[in-house]
Amino acid sequence: MSAIVDARGLVREYRMGDEIVPALRGVSLTVDAGEYVAIVGPSGCGKSTLLNLLGVIDRPTSGELSIAGERVDRLSDGRATEFRLRRIGFVFQRFYLMQALTARENVELPLAEAGLAGTERRDRALELLDYVGLRRRERHRPSQLSGGEQQRVAIARALANRPALLLADEPTGELDARTGAEMIGLFERLNADGTTIVVVTHDEDLARAAKRVVHMRDGEIVG
Amino acid sequence: MIGALALASLVRHRARTVLAILGVAVSAAMLLDMVMLSSGMRESFRSLLLAQGFQLRLSPKGTLPFDTEATIRSADSIAAIIRARPTVLSVSPVLGGQLHFPLAASMVNATALGVEPAVQGDYELVDGRQPSAPDELVANEALLRALGRTIGDTVSAASGYDPQLRTLAGQRVLRIVGRVRFIYLALDQRAAALPIGTLRAMNGPQSEGRASLEMVRLRPGADVERERAALAASLRTVTVISTSEALKQVDERLSYFRQLAVILGAVSLTVGFLLVTTLVTVSVNERIGEISVMRAIGVHRWRVVAQILLESTMIMLVAAPAGLVLGLVTARWLNSILARFPGLPERIDFFLFQPSAAWTALGLLALSGILAGVYPSWRGASLPIATTLRQEAVG
Amino acid sequence: MSIRTALLLILVALRATNAQAPTSPIAPRSAAPGGTRSIAIDSRLAADAKLRVGDRVVVSSEPGVAGDTVVIAGIVQRSADPAEVARAEYRIRLHLDHLQGLLGYGDRVDRFAVRTRDARSAREAISRIDAAAYGFRAHRSADVAVETSKTFAVVSRFHRAIGVITIVASAIFLLCIMLLKVDERRRDVAALRLIGCSARTIVGSVVLEAAAIAVLGSLAGVAVGGAASWIVNQHYQAVYRTPLRFSIVTGDIVLLAVALSLVLGLAAGWLAARRLVRTPPLALFGR
Repeated sequence: MSAIVDARGLVREYRMGDEIVPALRGVSLTVDAGEYVAIVGPSGCGKSTLLNLLGVIDRPTSGELSIAGERVDRLSDGRATEFRLRRIGFVFQRFYLMQALTARENVELPLAEAGLAGTERRDRALELLDYVGLRRRERHRPSQLSGGEQQRVAIARALANRPALLLADEPTGELDARTGAEMIGLFERLNADGTTIVVVTHDEDLARAAKRVVHMRDGEIVG
Repeated sequence: MIGALALASLVRHRARTVLAILGVAVSAAMLLDMVMLSSGMRESFRSLLLAQGFQLRLSPKGTLPFDTEATIRSADSIAAIIRARPTVLSVSPVLGGQLHFPLAASMVNATALGVEPAVQGDYELVDGRQPSAPDELVANEALLRALGRTIGDTVSAASGYDPQLRTLAGQRVLRIVGRVRFIYLALDQRAAALPIGTLRAMNGPQSEGRASLEMVRLRPGADVERERAALAASLRTVTVISTSEALKQVDERLSYFRQLAVILGAVSLTVGFLLVTTLVTVSVNERIGEISVMRAIGVHRWRVVAQILLESTMIMLVAAPAGLVLGLVTARWLNSILARFPGLPERIDFFLFQPSAAWTALGLLALSGILAGVYPSWRGASLPIATTLRQEAVG
Repeated sequence: MSIRTALLLILVALRATNAQAPTSPIAPRSAAPGGTRSIAIDSRLAADAKLRVGDRVVVSSEPGVAGDTVVIAGIVQRSADPAEVARAEYRIRLHLDHLQGLLGYGDRVDRFAVRTRDARSAREAISRIDAAAYGFRAHRSADVAVETSKTFAVVSRFHRAIGVITIVASAIFLLCIMLLKVDERRRDVAALRLIGCSARTIVGSVVLEAAAIAVLGSLAGVAVGGAASWIVNQHYQAVYRTPLRFSIVTGDIVLLAVALSLVLGLAAGWLAARRLVRTPPLALFGR
């Protein structure tokens, strides 16, 4: 199986005044196509930092990172943005939907950015909403949706441009247990349909649903 | 989609949006007024000077037309010399003075213009006819009202009045043959025009052959500046000015208003700029999380900036027409104040509306509004995504 | 022809001569008995024509006619008269009899100026002159000034109108910016409300902040206004070559400006804060 994620010796340091704080201390990780990996660890262990690097929304201080066969650790801002648009899908803990747009419009947003024409965009968005079970709520704004529904819209948005890699940062963090369970089921379905998924989570149930669990502590992978 | 986001943001904060529109409209109004003020006077004076088609004016050496009580000596000879030039169509001599009209219980004083009615360029006939005999005159509405007379009536007039001896000099009876509107005089200024020979005779020997001003109309196609230079070189006792020279003199006198217009216009522009910058900055700060998410899911920076700029552009689009209307209303008000300058010709407007002025003002405002939004929106769209998302999550 | 007009009319044939006879083709009239008369010229003329005290010039009532050779005895600074601003003519001063003779004015004058001991004496003098006068009247200089300064009354009114527009515009801008600034802190305000701070406390703190900004802004504005006033005077005094002060910042003006901006700032802050505290705290959080 070809590796979707190939990270070698990733280091990420932050400068806090005169101090340099290492968030990642040389992390190496490989994720094959079709894998479902959960990254777990105590707060401040660097798992979100690692996810941000995998999502090309942050740059490593040193190390090498390839996503879907392309080196991404030193991309320009424009190239990184383009990469995120077409190859990465990101799901956030707080959903981060555009409050002013309907569910369908939120899903259409990355499609519009990718240059898809109106009807094609609309059809694709409805297809995705159908996939996550929210077709009938397409005209609703985020304020009219429950937390679980908002997260499903966010997942649909993340899948809009058929990404090579789906990343999720605490996707069940803001959800109640029942909704969280529904979300876990959705992730399993996504993976079964061929999506490569990496989640960062404190949720044991979500971690257990993954095919592989990576443990982190103090900026390093420990298991 | 970008439009929908921009509109939604404006609608979400209605009070803020309305105030911003009002603020930009006021800026636009002031800017328009100042642009109108800086060019209006000049254009107004130019049309006034060219109203009757006289391109050159001769006045006593070192003075401007009717700036002083000085007169040109041997004005008739000078007029003859000018008329002899092939490029000259007509010469209109004008003698300024005063007429005193003794009534039963009072004295009415008026400005008097001695003219050659056939070629005069100082008034427009409203009613009646031009004076064709030495004892005829035309008067404006203000004088006729003060005298209680109308066309066809006779009136006793004198050119001089000695207040010590209470005697009138140069008195004669004149017939009113026309009602006129004086082009270069204030609306409420009482004035009359009569044949120049009559006024000279009434003034006495010291007025013989004299004129306050000679206006020259050139043939079509004549080079105005060349004629001016030629006349100035050959006639050493007079100052010859063209319309452009006159405008330059007027510009100097009224430079204060132009400079005021520039300063106030710049201040309006700056304030409008600051308002839009503040609005965009606050709007960006409020939505920094949203902006970072858009960047995270792959929306390009320039598109994020475009969406934010679209908000300020929408405000401009609504504020501009409102500002135009407000500007025209305040311009009328300000013009009515300045129109009360003593002795200001009725036809002078300080605030003259020209479409080019409106476009200039609105164009400047639109440009400054867009520029005002560029930096804060670019800054907002350039924040590190991961850090901002984390801060927003914690916040 | 009035003497004032004559003053404006007199064209100085510039023949700065030495003690010998002038070389001008315009033969001057013979000097008055007792020698060459003297005149004073204004500083503008002195600068433009490069004349100095002691130079000899010829003055005549009209160009091209015979005139008098006179010596420049003094150079006079123009007065700070607003009526003279933007007028380019030169002014010279002659002895009264000299000018009367030059113009053929006989023994006429345009006016007398009378200095009295005090205001009461002035009133008495006016009534006595008017009673005895035949064909002329006495006026207080202040009344004459009012009549002749109608142009500046118009300019004053215009400035006042601009001032009114500026104040209205400032009020709108201030309100808009206060609203924006206060809106920025809605989450902080929401948190304070949730932990029990009263609306009154919050409004009070915002108004206090607005007052501080208004005071600081006013002080900065006064400083800027003072500097601008100085620049305006320097500029226009140079342009129009006059000692007239075009802009004067007085204590009253400063007080009015500070008071007005304080009032506007406080009102804007109060309105903005009131709007915020009326919104339920959870709504401020966006929930």
